[in-house]
Amino acid sequence: MSRSAQHLQEAADWLTRLQRPEVEETDWLAFDAWLSEPGALEAYDAIQAVDEEIFQRGPAVRGELAEPRRATVKRAFTIDWRWLGGLGAAAAVAAVAIVVAPWGELLPQPDTLYVTDKGENRAVQLADGSHIDLNTDSHVSVRLDKDARRVTVHDGQALFDVAHDSQRPFLITAGDETVRVVGTKFDVRRRDGQLSVTVLRGLVEVSTDGEDTPVRLRPGQMLEHVEGASGVVVRAVAAEDQVGWRSGRLIYRDQPLGRIVGDMNHYFDRPLRLEGETTANLRFSGVLIVDSQDAMVRRLTSLMPLSATPTDDSIVLRGKSSAPN
Amino acid sequence: MADAGDLLSVTSSDKAVLLGLYEEKRANLVRFFAARLGSRAEAEDLVQDLYLRLSGMEAVGPVDNPSALLHRIGSNLMLDRLRSQKRSGARDNDWRAINTTAVAGQEIADEPSADEVVAGRQRLQALVEAVEDLPEKTRQAFQLHKLDGHSHVETARRMGISVSTVEKHISSALKSLTRRLR
Repeated sequence: MSRSAQHLQEAADWLTRLQRPEVEETDWLAFDAWLSEPGALEAYDAIQAVDEEIFQRGPAVRGELAEPRRATVKRAFTIDWRWLGGLGAAAAVAAVAIVVAPWGELLPQPDTLYVTDKGENRAVQLADGSHIDLNTDSHVSVRLDKDARRVTVHDGQALFDVAHDSQRPFLITAGDETVRVVGTKFDVRRRDGQLSVTVLRGLVEVSTDGEDTPVRLRPGQMLEHVEGASGVVVRAVAAEDQVGWRSGRLIYRDQPLGRIVGDMNHYFDRPLRLEGETTANLRFSGVLIVDSQDAMVRRLTSLMPLSATPTDDSIVLRGKSSAPN
Repeated sequence: MADAGDLLSVTSSDKAVLLGLYEEKRANLVRFFAARLGSRAEAEDLVQDLYLRLSGMEAVGPVDNPSALLHRIGSNLMLDRLRSQKRSGARDNDWRAINTTAVAGQEIADEPSADEVVAGRQRLQALVEAVEDLPEKTRQAFQLHKLDGHSHVETARRMGISVSTVEKHISSALKSLTRRLR
């Protein structure tokens, strides 16, 4: 082993030793003594910097590793889509029509459906230069027509970064809401009949069925709406909280456990269930790193007065104050 | 065990010795605590607190091993920190991590330049590829410990190998990644 490789190995051994749960005074004294050897400081600083980077980028690295298809493609963004279910069949028919009929080009463009599985994130680049980042367990379809770019959020959450094109407005439909944008960045979420739009940059106009005037949102504002109900709520938020999912974090400020469990259940096949009358209403503020389900449940139970009991097909969470049924 | 604050009944010359040694060991103390805290910036903070603690001492008794004392006070400060973080739900730490992420150019709030986004993605890609190229067992131990957050002991249990073998894998992974990435 070359001298510098030797130093790096020693430095890595030291850092690993210092990360044991039990570290004694003698470890410090020996470490301090070792650092005075020639080359030790540089080697240690290099190792420690990489260790720190791994610590900080851990969730992102983990996400990439969990998704081998993306990790092997050496591009910043990958385009990936699948046909699915009923829409898939309709689109397939349209595609056939184009082949057999010369007037096929006159048919409307088919929707392209972008889908993520549980625990999967996906970056999509559209032909017009816009980007969509899809959160876990989400379905979005896209149609780029001559007069407009049309996107439907069927379910889930997506961050849009829309390329400016004054000739073709970018229209997003989510439930009974339509979001109209010019060139901007914002997050749209549709889960369990709840809609929200959060703006990170630019101006966004949201129309809701049954409302006369559209609502204009600025950066740092979030609009919330219950599908089918009348009225919307707009409030100021830390917009970056709403897109924490992009770096593998779920960020909450005073949210009910029911919402958090709902979010987590979009990441894992094995459902979390709540038992006890008041359990769903326990409030939580904090950051949950998205990694394994077991680790997330462990952290949740250490941060909240909760017990977790695995059953055959689920994990049951119960507030410690609520009596068993 | 004595709290860091009440170890003392020392003369001012002993205190001068201790502060002098602090100056000498400061950089290495930061290195030591950076490994423990996973962050050089936090270690800097801690070692600054250590200085405040030392300079606030009324008097310091004769100290057998001043360097060991620096370590002991620093470690107590670190435990205090970790405990108070736990009490507040480890939130501050996580909020700080979020803010650091934003400042480091991981998009969101401040809209980094396109160059920064590309550089950040490329760096991430390089890191991911370096991890993927590790030998199988090494990669597995690395992932369990560094990415999934399991302790050395838990990683050993999951892999059915000894703790010292886990540490060898982790150490060897750090060396390979550092050689590729620096």
